[in-house]
Amino acid sequence: MSKIIGIDLGTTYSETAIIEGGAPRILENAEGMRITPSIAAVSKSGEKLVGLLAKRQAITNPKNTIFSVKRLIGRKFTDKEVQHDKKWLPYDIRESSTGGVEVKMGVPGGGDKWYKPEEISAMILAKLKTDAEAKLGEKIEEAVITVPAYFDDSQRQATKTAGEIAGLKVRRILNEPTAAALAYGLNKKKDERIVVYDFGGGTFDVSVLEVGDDTVEVKATGGDTHLGGDDFDKKIIEYLVNEYKKLEGVDLAKDALALQRLKEAAERAKHELSTAFETEINLPYITSDAAGPRHFLMKFNRSKLEELVGDLINHSVKILDQTIKEASFAVKDINEIILVGGQTRMPAMQDAVKKYFGKEPHKNLNPDEVVALGAAIQAGILQGEVKDILLLDVTPLSLGIETLGGVFTKLIEKNTTIPTAKSQVFSTAADNQTSVEIHVLQGEREMASDNKTLARFMLDGLPPAPRGMPQVEVIFDIDANGILNVSAKDKATNRSQSVRVEATTALSKEEVEKLKQEAVVHADEDRRKKELVEARNQAENLIYATEKSLKDAADPSTGSGQGKVPADIKEAVNKKVDALKSVKDGQDLSAIKSAISELSAELQKIGKEMYKSGSEDKEDKKEA
Amino acid sequence: MSNQEEVKKLEEVDEAKKLVEKLKKCEVEKDEYLNGWKRAKADFINYQKDEAKRFEEAIKFANWDLVRDLITVLDSFDLAIVVLGKEVEKGIYLIRNQLEDVLRKRGLEKIMIPVGQKFDPTLHEAISEVESDKPVGTIIEEVERGYSLNGRVIRPARVKITKSK
Repeated sequence: MSKIIGIDLGTTYSETAIIEGGAPRILENAEGMRITPSIAAVSKSGEKLVGLLAKRQAITNPKNTIFSVKRLIGRKFTDKEVQHDKKWLPYDIRESSTGGVEVKMGVPGGGDKWYKPEEISAMILAKLKTDAEAKLGEKIEEAVITVPAYFDDSQRQATKTAGEIAGLKVRRILNEPTAAALAYGLNKKKDERIVVYDFGGGTFDVSVLEVGDDTVEVKATGGDTHLGGDDFDKKIIEYLVNEYKKLEGVDLAKDALALQRLKEAAERAKHELSTAFETEINLPYITSDAAGPRHFLMKFNRSKLEELVGDLINHSVKILDQTIKEASFAVKDINEIILVGGQTRMPAMQDAVKKYFGKEPHKNLNPDEVVALGAAIQAGILQGEVKDILLLDVTPLSLGIETLGGVFTKLIEKNTTIPTAKSQVFSTAADNQTSVEIHVLQGEREMASDNKTLARFMLDGLPPAPRGMPQVEVIFDIDANGILNVSAKDKATNRSQSVRVEATTALSKEEVEKLKQEAVVHADEDRRKKELVEARNQAENLIYATEKSLKDAADPSTGSGQGKVPADIKEAVNKKVDALKSVKDGQDLSAIKSAISELSAELQKIGKEMYKSGSEDKEDKKEA
Repeated sequence: MSNQEEVKKLEEVDEAKKLVEKLKKCEVEKDEYLNGWKRAKADFINYQKDEAKRFEEAIKFANWDLVRDLITVLDSFDLAIVVLGKEVEKGIYLIRNQLEDVLRKRGLEKIMIPVGQKFDPTLHEAISEVESDKPVGTIIEEVERGYSLNGRVIRPARVKITKSK
């Protein structure tokens, strides 16, 4: 069976996505881009162009380049919206014989051809289909296409017709906000109320959804069909042009190329200010006049941007408020908020929404792609792929053992898909240690004592050896039922011991969430504790190594002899060792760290001394 | 045959029937599981292949954003050279060429526009029209250079084209 694609057929841009291995993925178009401009044109040489190519000739061919056709599809010519849009759209629009809308694309060398909006949309859909086929190497015959929640029957039917003209069987017309909810997996949260705040390039939509048994119901919609990220760009450019006029007395709006460069720079600056607080717009030789070349150099910061577009954001929040009231809900009734559309990356916009609801909106998926991803998920459900795949569980919490100093060392991280096995080699902490205790734990905290004990067992019979020498391999193996087998094996003797833990996944969702939350809450404190233990472990290792090397140096049987380390250095080292010993069990991390580095520095002197006397030895031998 | 023997025999037949049923069920399950396993293995191998391909692509175009930003620096050099004409210090030319060279080594190529070339939206972006005697749709001026990176247009050449008088 061929795959079903999910299509977000947008006003300015469209995207395609597909389910692969149970997860949705955006497909790139023939130009290697993840988004395709929703534009179709007949070029002056008579070629039909769609997408980016149509966009590239739009300025010189405005009469025959059709964009924003989504504003017209399925509408009556007499609709208020059509009459309004007709005024600013550069191409010709007329009433069709059935009272609908038709747009004109000229045929070079004679005659005009009038198209229904669905025929234009079909051209865009056909390109998306062809590009998807090329990308996947298989034929595509079916699709899920998204439309705004406020689309009426006629608009939905026209969109479906567009798909059919493009050679696609439209398996479902899906609401854009519902697609967004699907992408976030919120369709399963029964009885929840979801608000989708969709701030796109040219339109702003708010939808209030309620999740029922098997359905997602649209309770209310609102928005402004002429408010979007493009308005933000316009405001920025306007500001920059005015500032420049004030400073330099030159009007850049009159220079087409300068304006083009400024437009691109403004867009880049807008994007940058979503992460940075300040940016610099630097366009050397932007224009020239009688006085010679002119440069454009201006700092632009986030607060200025927010000042410029503050009204637009406030306006959107007002609409948001109205829409929720229309749904007869109060703000506290809303369980989830989803941000859609590239402009929602702007921190001020996120803050405004967050402030309004008093809770964090979902925003971790790419806001440009979330609708297409949701459409692909719907396609996957229709196709059965999502159901067909063998459902594999994950371990809800991390699993590991306790190591030196009471630290929890994770072997299997949380959210690892099972069945799985992991192994790691550990060693002893003391000289001549003949047994090790394996303390099996589950949880997310850094210290062993804060996690849940699953089992304990001893592996004994290790041959006496200096600390750190024995190699004990610990293997964690979880089967598909969540049953954990832990075994420990001494590599030298092959002695082994194991334990079986049933029901590692028997925790309820709430318990798991609680444990994860605790880990987040205690993250800082745990990290400090762990650092302290690690520093102590390091201190102990260093003391051990120092004492050993001092002992070795004094031991004639090891080949070096007494006196290699001058007494004064030895004494200094011992002093530092004592200093470290006195602080290592305390709580002061920086004291331990500085004592460690002081001892290390002192130790280097021994090394130097030994090296020096070693080379003197050689000299001596040479002479002899 | 005594009654008792008959009962025993019947019980044995029942038992055998049950075992056959069980075996059949096991065989169906075995096929299902084996198929599932094969499918999962195949999915994984295919995924690995796809991943390798995607990785290759990712490496090839990893510099995309950086190169696109650096092209604007190249533009500034070009503008400076045009505006200043003969006054340009030779060193400025050399720095410009050095930058272009670095980018060329990473796969950047200039889109060439021979005289009389027709406008082609796969390579060019038309920013204005000028009346001319030349055939309609001919490029008469390159306003901003176009470039491709590893064979993919990273920025179309911005051009002025002719329209009929």
